Amino acid sequence: MGQDTRDNAELDRKLRHYRLSRDEHRRIVGLIGREPQGVEWALFSALWSEHCSYKSSRVHLKGLFNQSPRVLQSFGENAGVVDLGEGERVAFKMESHNHPSFIEPYQGAATGVGGILRDIFTMGARPIALADYLCFGRPEAKRMEKLVDGVVRGIGGYGNCVGVPTITGQTEFDESYDKNILVNAMAVGLFRPGEKVFLSKASGVGNLVVYAGAKTGRDGVHGASMASESFDKESEKKRPTVQIGDPFFEKLLIESSLEVMEQDLVVAIQDMGAAGLTSSSFEMAAKGGVGFTLHLDRVPLRDATLEPEDILLSESQERMLMVVEPSKLERLQALYHRWGLDAVAIGEVTKDRVMRLYWKGDLLTSIDPDLLVEHPPRYERAYESWKPKHRITDGPVLMASGLKVGEELLKLLGSAEGASREFIYRQYDGHVGASTAADCRESVGVVRLKDSGRGLGVVLGCRPYLMRFDALEGGRDTVAYPSLELAAKGFEPLAMTDCLNFGNPERLEVMTSFVAALGGMNELARELVAPIISGNVSFYNETEGRNITPTPSTGLVGLRRSVEELPTSNFTQAGHEVFVVSTSKIFEFGGAFAEKTKLEPRAMGAIDRDSVKSLVTSLLAVEAGGFIQASRVVGKFGLGYALSRMALGGVGAEVNGHSFAELFSERLYEVVIATSLSREDFEKQWATASGGSAPIRYLGRTGGSILKIGSDVELTVQELTTVYHRGWVQSFPNLAVNV
Amino acid sequence: MAKSIGKSVVGVIRFPGTNCDRDVFEAVSKLGGEPRWLWHGDLFDHKEYSALILPGGFSYGDYLRSGALAARATAMKSVREAAVYGTPILGICNGFQILCEARLLPGALSRNQGLRFIDEWVELKVVGGLSRFGQNAKVQTASGLRIPIAHADGRYTVSVDEANRLEDRGQVWLRYKVNPNGSVADIAGVTNEAGNVSGLMPHPERALETWMGSSDGRALLDLWS
Amino acid sequence: MAEFTFGVTVMPRKEVLDTQGRAVEEALKREGEPVLSCRVGRFVELKVSASDRKQAEVTAKKVAESLLCNSLIETFTLGEANG
Repeated sequence: MGQDTRDNAELDRKLRHYRLSRDEHRRIVGLIGREPQGVEWALFSALWSEHCSYKSSRVHLKGLFNQSPRVLQSFGENAGVVDLGEGERVAFKMESHNHPSFIEPYQGAATGVGGILRDIFTMGARPIALADYLCFGRPEAKRMEKLVDGVVRGIGGYGNCVGVPTITGQTEFDESYDKNILVNAMAVGLFRPGEKVFLSKASGVGNLVVYAGAKTGRDGVHGASMASESFDKESEKKRPTVQIGDPFFEKLLIESSLEVMEQDLVVAIQDMGAAGLTSSSFEMAAKGGVGFTLHLDRVPLRDATLEPEDILLSESQERMLMVVEPSKLERLQALYHRWGLDAVAIGEVTKDRVMRLYWKGDLLTSIDPDLLVEHPPRYERAYESWKPKHRITDGPVLMASGLKVGEELLKLLGSAEGASREFIYRQYDGHVGASTAADCRESVGVVRLKDSGRGLGVVLGCRPYLMRFDALEGGRDTVAYPSLELAAKGFEPLAMTDCLNFGNPERLEVMTSFVAALGGMNELARELVAPIISGNVSFYNETEGRNITPTPSTGLVGLRRSVEELPTSNFTQAGHEVFVVSTSKIFEFGGAFAEKTKLEPRAMGAIDRDSVKSLVTSLLAVEAGGFIQASRVVGKFGLGYALSRMALGGVGAEVNGHSFAELFSERLYEVVIATSLSREDFEKQWATASGGSAPIRYLGRTGGSILKIGSDVELTVQELTTVYHRGWVQSFPNLAVNV
Repeated sequence: MAKSIGKSVVGVIRFPGTNCDRDVFEAVSKLGGEPRWLWHGDLFDHKEYSALILPGGFSYGDYLRSGALAARATAMKSVREAAVYGTPILGICNGFQILCEARLLPGALSRNQGLRFIDEWVELKVVGGLSRFGQNAKVQTASGLRIPIAHADGRYTVSVDEANRLEDRGQVWLRYKVNPNGSVADIAGVTNEAGNVSGLMPHPERALETWMGSSDGRALLDLWS
Repeated sequence: MAEFTFGVTVMPRKEVLDTQGRAVEEALKREGEPVLSCRVGRFVELKVSASDRKQAEVTAKKVAESLLCNSLIETFTLGEANG
C-alpha cells in the first residue's frame, strides 16, 4: 500500500469518526488554509453537524415569515420573544429530543424538557408552561409500551420537579414511528413588566467568561453529530454515555440564574445545550464579533480523566455560560453559592475575533469563530415541486358502505388514535404555578398572566395522517388548525414555534415533503400574522432505511382578554344551541377514518388561507361577545367523533341526521359551537361578525345523557365515556390507568 | 398568643427544590395575610410569626425519600421550637412529607399505590378533628371541598392500630371521598396531638378562584382574614 | 426444585451522573458531617426457584440484566441477601 492510500484511509477514518464528508474537509482546509489539527476536528464536527448548523435546511428557513410588530426577538437567539402589551412579554420555543428518547426514553425525554426550559430562562424569562408533542409507533410494536411509559415518566419526572406546569399536548400513533419515536417539548416563559430580556451576544473586552452549574462529565460526547445521522444497528454501539437530567439541580439553576439576571450581574448568557461548551462559546463570541480566551482546564469536572476534546463536546446537563464584568464576579459567585451552585471564570473576552483554547497553559488552537458558526456548508438538497394526489372533482370523498355510524364511532373512541390520553397527562403536574386556567383536559392550555389578568393560550399543531396524505395541505394545517382552536376559545393567535421532524434530507421524497410542508406553514403563518419566531429542525429520523411521516409540529400562543368564562371543549349545560361554522372554501378528504379503514384516498379542494383568516376573525368577534359556551374544531375522524368528544363532559345532545360520509370525512375547516343564545340570536351575531364570509349551519341542542345524531346514532354519555377510557387500557394493557 | 403579633405575619419556608413557594406566598397575601420568606439554611425567631407554612415541591429532588433531607435543614430547628410553642404550622404536599420525616407529624407518605405521579381534582371531606386548620375550614364547608392533588408520594401510611389511635384522638382532619393513592383510611391530612401542626396532600393554593377550577382552597388557607 | 436467595445491588454507572448521590452528599456536607462522597443505588432481594445454585444464578442474572438494572446507566452485582 502506498503512502497516499494510507493517508487516504487515515483521512477517511477520521472523517467517519467526526462525521464529516470529503467535501466538508476540503471546505475546512480552504477556510483555515491548512489541515485541521487536534481539537479543531471536534469543533468542526460539532458546529458543522446538521443539528447545530442547519446546513440542509438553512436555505429554506431564510424565507420564513418571522416578523410582526409584536416580535421582539426572532430566530438566532435561544428563543423567540413576543410582546403582549402592558409590559408583559413571552419567550417560547419547541425542540426535539427524538434519538435520545428512543435509546433511553426516561432520560431522553427528561433532558429534552430540561434543555428547552434552559433556552427560556437563559433569556431571563420565568418558565410558566410546558407542552409536549409525542409520536409513537403502533402499541404492539417492539418496546413501544416501554417507550411510551418511559417518555411520559421522563417528561413528568422533570417538569413536575422543576415546577413548571404541563398544560397541553398531543400524542399520535403510527407505524412510521415504530423505530423512531418523536419527542418534542415546548416551553413558554414570561417576562413581567420591567423585567429585562437577556441575549447571548458577548461583548466587553476584558469581561470574564463564566461557567455556572453542574460539573462536566462524559455525558453525550458527540451527541450533536449523532443526532444528525440516520439510525441503524451501529448507532447502538457508538452511542455516547447517556445524558442524565437532574430536575432538582435545574430548579436551583433556574432560581439562581433568574436572580443573577434580576440583579443585572451578566452581560450575556447562553445555556450549554447540543455540542455543549463548543457551541455556546463559539456562538456567543461570533454573535458579538469578539474572541474568547478559554482555559479548558478550569472547567469543573465530574470525571478527572476527561480530555480537552471531551470537555468541548460534553453535553452534561444543567450548565450555563455567561459573560460577566470582572467587578461583578464576586457577587455573582456568592449568589450562585447560596443556591449550592458553583460559578467559575474560565476565560475572558478578547478584542480580536479569535477563539484561543488552552489546556494547562498550552495553546490548543486559535481560530476565528465565524469560520465555524457562519461558514458551515449550505446544502441545496434536491426536491421536486409539490403535486397534489388523489384529487377528485365530485364527491363523496369517503366511499364507505354497510357501516353503522354508532358502531364505528365507538370503535374510533376505543382505538389508540382516538382514546383518552388521561393516562399521560395525569402524570404531569398541570397546576403548579397556581396560574393554570385550562389544562390538558381542554383543547387549549391556558395560563393566567399575573399582572394583567389576561389569558395566554398554548396549543400544538400537526396531524401526521394529513401529512401522509398531502404534505402541502398538512403544512398549512399545522398553522390553520391550532389557530382555529385558539380562536374558538377567544385567543388571538400571536406567534408560533416549530419543530420540523423529517427523515433523511438526502432523499428526494423527504426533501420534497419538507419544502412543501414548510411552504404551506409559511403561507398560513403570514396570512394569520402568526410569525414563526423560533424552532428546530430534526432531520435523519430514518431507521434502517425507513423514514418517519414528515412531522412539522408547531406550537402557537394566543392572547385573551381574561381567563374568566372560557369556552369549554365539552357540552356543560342542557339547552344550549349547537351549530357548525365553517370556512367558505373547504378542503375535504377521507381523513383519519379513510386511512385507518384503508379506504381509497380521495380529496377535493384545498385549504384556503383567506377563508381560514375569515373564520378566525369571526370566531374571535363572537367569542368576545361571550356567545360561545363550548367549542371544538372538527379534527381527526370528523364531525361524529367531535360531537362524541363534546358529550364526554356528561351532557348529551340531539342533532340533525347526517350521511356516513358527512360524519366521518374531514372538511377543513368546521368548528362546533354551543351557545346559550337562542338559535335566531346566535345566527344574527354570527352574520354580523362574519359578514357572510363564514357559513353557519344549525345542528341541534344540548341536553340529556344521550348523544343522538338523527335516527342513526343513540349512544349514552356513559357508554361513550367508558369506551373512550377503556380504549387506552386495551391499547396498552400493561399501562393501566387507575391502579 | 400567636395572634398577639397583630397583623398576621406568615413565614413561608423555602427549601432547595420547593416549587410552590411563590404560589403559597401569593395566596397568603391574597387572603389578607402578610407573607415573609424564610430560608432553609437560616434559623429564625419563631415568635415573629403568627403562622408558618411549608409549601409543596420537590425539596432535594425527593431524593432518598420525599422530605427526608429537608427535614434535617437548619430552619427546621426553629420550626420545632415553633411547634412546641404552639404556632400554627401547615405543611402542604412536600411540606406534609417534610413534617412527617421531621417527626412533627405521625406516619409517613409512601409511593402512590399505582406507582405513578397523580395530577387530579379530588373531592375532600373536612373532618376537622383537633386541627386548627380543619376546625376553621369545617365552619365554612359543609358539603366538602374540591381541590387538586399533584404527587407521587402521597399514600399516607401508618399501622392500622396507629390509624385507629389517630382517629380516636381526632388527629385525622381531612379525608378523600374517593381514595386516589391508597392512603390508609382515606386520610388526606393529619395533625399533631396539640392540633397546631397539620399536613395535607392536596394543594389549596391552587383552588382560590373560579377560573382555577374551584375556590374551595380558601377555606383551608383562610386563617388570616 | 430448591429455593435460592440473592441480593442484587444496582448502582449508577461510574461515568454517568448520580443525581441522587450528589443531592444527598451535598445535604450531608452542609450539615457538617465528615462525608467525602455518596452514591445512591438500590438493593433488591430475589428468591429464585431452581434445581441447583448454578441454575439459580443464571436466572437471577437474567432478571437483573433484563429488568432490575438499566445497563445504559446502571451496573449490578449479584451477592448474598441481607438477612
